[in-house]
Order: sequence, then structure tokens, then C-alpha cells
Amino acid sequence: MSDLEPVVGIDLGTTNSVVATVQDGVPRVIPSRTGQPLTPSVVAVAKNGRLLVGALAKRQAITNPEGTVFAAKRLIGRRWGSQEIEDARKVLPYALVPGPEGNDVRVQLGDRVVSIPELSALVLAELRADAEAFLGRPVRRAVVTVPAYFNDGQRQATKDAGRIAGLEVLRIINEPTSAALAYGFGRQVQGKVVVFDLGGGTFDVSVLDIGASVYDVVAVGGDTYLGGEDFDRRVMDWLTFGFAKEHRGVDLRQDKMALQRVRDAAERTKCELSSAPSAAIHLPFLLGGGEGKPALHLDRQLTREGLEELTKDLVDRCVAVAERTLKDAGVRPAQVGEVILVGGMTRMPRVQRAVREFFGREPCKGVHPDEVVALGAAIQAHALTRPGQGAEVLLLDVTPQNLGLLLVGGYFQTVIPKNTTVPTSQTHLFTTVQDDQTSVRIAVLQGESERAIENELLGEFVLEKIRPARRGEVSIEVSFEISADGIVGVSARDVATGQRQSITVTATSGLTEEELRRILDEQLDEQLQRKQSTREIEERRRSVARMVEEIEALVPAARAALDRTRFGGDAVRKAEAVLARARSAMASRDVDALAAEAEPLERTLALFQGLAAGGQPPGGR
Amino acid sequence: MVGVPAGGGSTALRGDGHSASRLASSEISEEEVDLDLARREEILSAAAHASAWTHWEALGLPWNASAEAARAAYLEKVKRFHPDRFAGRRLGSYREKLERIFRRITEAKDVLADEGRRAAYARETAAPETRAQLEARRIEDERRTGERRARLARQNPIVGRAARVQELVARAKQAMSEGRFGEASNDLQLALGIDPQHPDVARLAPEARRRACAQRAERLVAEGAAAELAGRAGAALAAYREALEAEPGNVRAAAAGARAALAAGDVPAARALADAAVRAGPRTAHAHEALGMVLDAQGARKEARRALERALELEPGLTSAKERLKKLRWSFLA
Repeated sequence: MSDLEPVVGIDLGTTNSVVATVQDGVPRVIPSRTGQPLTPSVVAVAKNGRLLVGALAKRQAITNPEGTVFAAKRLIGRRWGSQEIEDARKVLPYALVPGPEGNDVRVQLGDRVVSIPELSALVLAELRADAEAFLGRPVRRAVVTVPAYFNDGQRQATKDAGRIAGLEVLRIINEPTSAALAYGFGRQVQGKVVVFDLGGGTFDVSVLDIGASVYDVVAVGGDTYLGGEDFDRRVMDWLTFGFAKEHRGVDLRQDKMALQRVRDAAERTKCELSSAPSAAIHLPFLLGGGEGKPALHLDRQLTREGLEELTKDLVDRCVAVAERTLKDAGVRPAQVGEVILVGGMTRMPRVQRAVREFFGREPCKGVHPDEVVALGAAIQAHALTRPGQGAEVLLLDVTPQNLGLLLVGGYFQTVIPKNTTVPTSQTHLFTTVQDDQTSVRIAVLQGESERAIENELLGEFVLEKIRPARRGEVSIEVSFEISADGIVGVSARDVATGQRQSITVTATSGLTEEELRRILDEQLDEQLQRKQSTREIEERRRSVARMVEEIEALVPAARAALDRTRFGGDAVRKAEAVLARARSAMASRDVDALAAEAEPLERTLALFQGLAAGGQPPGGR
Repeated sequence: MVGVPAGGGSTALRGDGHSASRLASSEISEEEVDLDLARREEILSAAAHASAWTHWEALGLPWNASAEAARAAYLEKVKRFHPDRFAGRRLGSYREKLERIFRRITEAKDVLADEGRRAAYARETAAPETRAQLEARRIEDERRTGERRARLARQNPIVGRAARVQELVARAKQAMSEGRFGEASNDLQLALGIDPQHPDVARLAPEARRRACAQRAERLVAEGAAAELAGRAGAALAAYREALEAEPGNVRAAAAGARAALAAGDVPAARALADAAVRAGPRTAHAHEALGMVLDAQGARKEARRALERALELEPGLTSAKERLKKLRWSFLA
């Protein structure tokens, strides 16, 4: 039964999310219940207090800017007070507040304060519901993708989001790796492949060496704060500054609704300019005049060259990251066998030109930039749940950043260097520096700087109850391990006594375990509701099972009776078909199918009972 | 039945740290895992030996196998030992063992699939006699590479010119360090003709030329002195003249030349040379002495006396000048 249970792959994007599954050995995107392949990663609390997710939430964003959360992925797993959060606070129409510990970021929605994983969980739950509607069966397990450059905190938070959404996250995989997996599906790929993934909020480059269905990631690089949103911002700024100039210093940013309209128009204009040489922006009645003053309209024209000029440095940044990553991989642009473009932003002609110039080759156009990541995740989910069946793919991914420790003097010592294949582990010896020292404090960091302070603090832990001894006599072996998800674990052992120390790295960003539990408890209502439907399934199943049993018991008698009549095998065949359908409905636990089978079963039962009792079938079927 | 799924993996059993090196069949089958016996044996034996493996052994390769072979072997091994290959099965303590094996073969691949690191490792792990052979082959290879580069240079005019300049500069530097400034100067002049912009050549050429001239003058002066001693005044004069041509400021050549001209009886030439000597070295005693002698020969006794007095002033120990001056002062001694 477990191998009948469907698994899905989810691309949890900054602007849009996609869910996919493997059906009959072929990966395919699951459309939303309204038939769209992409679900906007937007969550909103409407004016009437109703929670909206996806397209519905996006549609009302203009009239409800404070209550609509978009681009939550750019905030997930980030620390309160970090540069990225400070930047985001300046531009986002919704309010950010620090979490209870003062470490992570929460969103103020109406009178509720919501954590970022909870918001992402709402999107995941929406996708899960879409998948359940499409597959007609409960979906409980999924592979979720994250940008390759995500650090431990961001991955952990994404995993938490999955858990809140009621999904067992089988694996967190990197988006570019996932894209490569989908690209390789049904192709004979051999050699070096580069994935250039410029999405809504993040930019990733991965270099893979593919051979014999093994996808070996050689190096990854990226920028978790560079993407389509930044391009939109440039256009927005251009529009707001131009507007201020035209109307003597009227600042559009003071009016959140107007700003939301400008944001929408900026995104639309950017997309239009990928196919047209110029685009017009008409926003009539953008600012209501009031008090006898006329209303202000925005009416401007932007050319493709203009857009390219506004965003030139962003494209340059992408190329610089690509160059650095190739160097890390020890691969020259000419050695690259294929360049795969992923993410909506790679539709921009300037981006494609930059890629063409840098790699000296035409990028691959054979994959769908929006869907490819989810398809790859579905393939990996399939491979992880049905080993030895279908596509024998194997992913060997790497760590995106150096993992290390804080040393005396504020220096950073690398324990596991970046681009190490995961899963991996490394041990490090610590000795006491004072007589009778009973505890050691260890800070675990992730990043690329030599100075600890510039890196991301994953967590701190204290080794306690060290046996008292002279300094230097106790050595403690601390092992760091990075799982296939890219998530960090730490354990410690006293070398002399072999005694294990249990330590937990409490993430400095994200949810604590208690909070997670509370959130899961809060979902009890929903859980109960779901249990109700389970109970309904169970009841129907039981009644169907009883009827099937009864019919089966009557089959020999009925057959004997029918043999004597001209109705013959036809009735028996029909009855058997009904039985088969009933059994499969029971196996799939599908309420509707069970309900639909109830009536023909009852009829068959009545027929057979009649046959067995009277020997003659009742007239007229 | 629908509950909240627990997050994370589903590893239930953890290795209790028993050594896998003592393989007893009871040990193999004692744990309940979804692996067949052959697989379990394979994993246990690999895990037991993993830490002792060389990189070659880790990938099951012979010594010095190629980087491509290493990569292919790695792909095969990874398919057998990667924990994901057993996803969804109960692995118990085997999960940790698989991860250990996986790390070991990945480490081996990182070295052996990289051409540079593979070659270094191959040299390190070679048997002693093989290592000597390899070293010889490496030197031979380097020589061949040099030859090939030279051949290429001859074929390509642009590369050829650059290579030629490079070669000339190298030769000139060598010559200069050994004191053969004439050869160095020749080479540098040639290089300058091919590539006037070359920074090394532009800097070195004048220096080499100056020193080459000085060296030539030095040699000619020595030749002249030898001829003088042999009494061949004409030959000596010619040598001195040539030396002066090579290095116009050579005082010794001019002074000695004046004396030689005087000995050959060519007084006007002697006068010209003596004047040149004094101009070039106003503080050189020999120059003033030569001028004094020439002036004496011309009959200008007063000027001759002054010149000789100046010579003695500069170098009081100059006996020949002292004698001549004595003669000039006391004319009756003549």
C-alpha cells in the first residue's frame, strides 16, 4: 500500500510555486484546482479576516497591501537585524517584527504575528491540496527545493514549513540540481553542465558533472538576494522618481495602494519587454487629488534598452558569480557541454545575451524555465521512494558555503569547506584551556569570510559536565555532519572516556521546537476536520467490504443458478467487474469512488440473493 | 491513520560501535534490516577496510589508472554504496556504514579524478623502482615539451619572433653575468632590431654596449703596451688609437698613445693625443706627464715644465716625470 501512495516534488519559489509528480514514469506538473500550472507564493489576510493563498491572494494585493505577504522566501531563515532584513523593511508594504527571542523575523498580519515558515507552509498546504485533488489521494510526502546557496538556517526553516503543512519532507534539494535532473530526464547526458538559475528572489549557478545517471555537483555559487524582484524594484524606482519629478516632489511611496499598483505595473512591464522592444505604463488616477485638486495619472514609456540600462549592474553581478563558480569548479567556459537556463528572469534577452557571451555558446532552450525545478524534485521524490524502479538517478550534491567555528580573536576556522559532497562529516578536537574547566562554548558558523563576524551564525552550543582535570588533559571530539539535505548536525564525545555529549544547535533564526509544536497543535481543528473525513471513509469502506464479502459468498450459488438460465455468464461478468471496482476503490481510500460503487453493489447483492434463494433471476435487470 | 508525520528521517537503530572487522555470520544476520545477505556482507567488509584503503583500492583500480577510469569506477561504486540507493528500506547500523564508505570513495575520487592531484598521488604511491623510472620519464617529457615549443616557434613567425627575442635576451643576460659584454651587446642589438619596444632589451642594450666598449678598450690598451715593450711603436700607436675609438674617454689609451707617437717620431699626432688625454682626465698624472713630454719634444720648455709639475703634484711618486723635470729645470744637464 505504501508504494501506491503518491509523492510530489515542490518548487517553493519566491514569486511562484509549482508542484509536480511522476505518473507512469513521466514527470508532470500538477495544475492548481483552477487549472494554472503556477501558484503565486502569496498569502493574504483579507479585510473580512479570511485567509487567502495563491492566485486569490495575489488578485486582491492592490487593495490590501498591508495584509498581503509576497516574496516570503526572501525572509525565510534570516536573522532579525541582518542587512537583508533591514533592506526589506524599507521596501515591503507589510510590517516585519522581531520574533520572541529577538532573532528571527515575523510578519504582522492584522492583529496576528506570523512566522515566515508558517506563511510558506500555507503555500505548501495549498499545493498539497492541489495535488490531492488532482491525484484523488492523500499526499503526505514531498521533496522540496531551495536555492543552492541557502544556508543551514534557511533550509531548516523550509523543512519546518513542510512539517507545518503536514508534509514529510523526504529531502531538501537544490533548485539548480533539480533542474539538471529534469533536463537529464529522457536524454543521454554526459559531461559538464552548468545551470544558470535566476529566479524571483535568488540567483544560483551550479556546475554538474553528469555521467551514467549520476548527477555529481562540482561547485555551486550564488546570491540569495538577487533576482527578478530586484529588477522590478529598479523599474519601480524609475517610475516613482520620474513621477516625483513630474509632479513636484509627490512621493508615491507614501501611498501603499498606489505603490502596489506601481509594483504590479513594473513587473508586467519587465515581462513585456522580454518580447516587445518597448512598453507603455498607464496608471490612471494613481493618486486621488481630493480637495479640489485634480487626480494624478502615471503615463510613461519604457524601452528595452532603458530597462537594460536600469538593470545593467544586476546582470553584471550574475556574470561575476558565474565566473567565480566556474573557477571554483576548475572548469573553463569552453569545457561546458550545456548551459541550462532556469527561472523566469532568464527570459530577459539581456540575461540570455550575457550568458551567451560568457559561455560562448547558445544556452539550452529545451526546458521550461518555470516548471523544470518542480519536475526535477518530482523525479528525485520518485527515486527516493521507489528505489530500483524506473529512472535510476542518483544526486550527489555539495555544501554551498564553508562550515566552521569561531576561534579566539574572532577568526573563522573552516571545518567542512564549501563544495564538499554531502552527506559528509568531519571531526574536530577541542581541549580545555583552563584547569578544572567544566564547559566549552562553541559557535558554529557558515559563510565565506575569514572574519567570523561576517559569516552567518548557525548556532551556539555549550559542552557541559566536562570531567575536572588539568588544562589540556581533556580532549573532546566534536563531529560536524552535513546531511543530504544540507542540514548541519553536531555531536561531541570525550575522547578518553568515550562518553557522548548530547548537544543541540538551536538555530538563531526560525522556529524553536516548542513553537513548532504549538503551531502544529493549533492546526488541530483542521486535523479534526480531516479525521472526520477519514471516519467517513472508514464507514463507507466497512459497508462496501461487507457487501463484497456477502456477494462473494453467494457467487457459487448464483453461478449454479445462472447456469440453468439463458442469462448465463453475462450477469456474472458484470458482477465481477463491479466487485473489482469496489476493491480498487477500497484500496485507494477514495470517498467518492466508494460512494459511487455502493449502489451497483447493492443491486448486485439483491440480484444474487434473489438467485440463490429463488433459483430464477427477477425479471428485467 | 492520518496523523502528523514526524519530521526528519526514520533512522531507528544507531550503530553501537562494534567493530566490523570480526565478521561472524551471526553478526551479519543479527540485525533486522531490509538488505539481502550478500549486500550486508559486501557493506560490512567494505566498511571494515575503508580506512585502510589507498585511493586506488577505494575505487578498485590498479595503480596509476587514468582519471577517466577513476571517474567511471566512482560512478559504479557510488551506485552500489550511496545511502539513497536504499531509500525507504530499513538500514539500521548499515546506514552509518554506507555513509562512511561513501565518504571514503568520494575522497578517493576527489584525488584521482583530478589530473594534477592524481599524477602527484601516483608518484607518491609508486614502488621505488617505478618512481625512479617515472622521474626519468618526467624529465624526458619536459625536454620534449621544450623541443616541441621550439619547433612551434620556428613555424610561426609571430611566436617565432617573440621566442627569438626571448632567447637572445636570455643569452645576453647569461653572457653579461659571465663578463662577456661584447657578445651580450651583439645579442641585445639583434633583439632591439626585432622588437624595439621590448622593455628588457631597451633597458639592457645601452649598458651592455658601454661595458663591451670599455672591455674592448681595455684589451687594446694591454695589446698596445705589449707592442710598446717589444719596441714596435707603430703597432702600439695603432692599438692605442683603436682603443680610443672604442672608448673615447679612455685616458690611459690617450696618454700611452701620445708616448707611442712620440717614440714613432710623429710629434703632431703625439700632441693631439696628449691634449685628448688631458681633456679626458684632467686629474690623471699620466696624461699631464705625456703632455709634458710632447711639449718638451716640440721645444716648448716652459709649458713642458708646467705640465710635468702638474703631473708630479697629482702623483708625487712619478719618477720618469721627476727626471724629465730635473733636466728641464737644469738645462745644462741636458
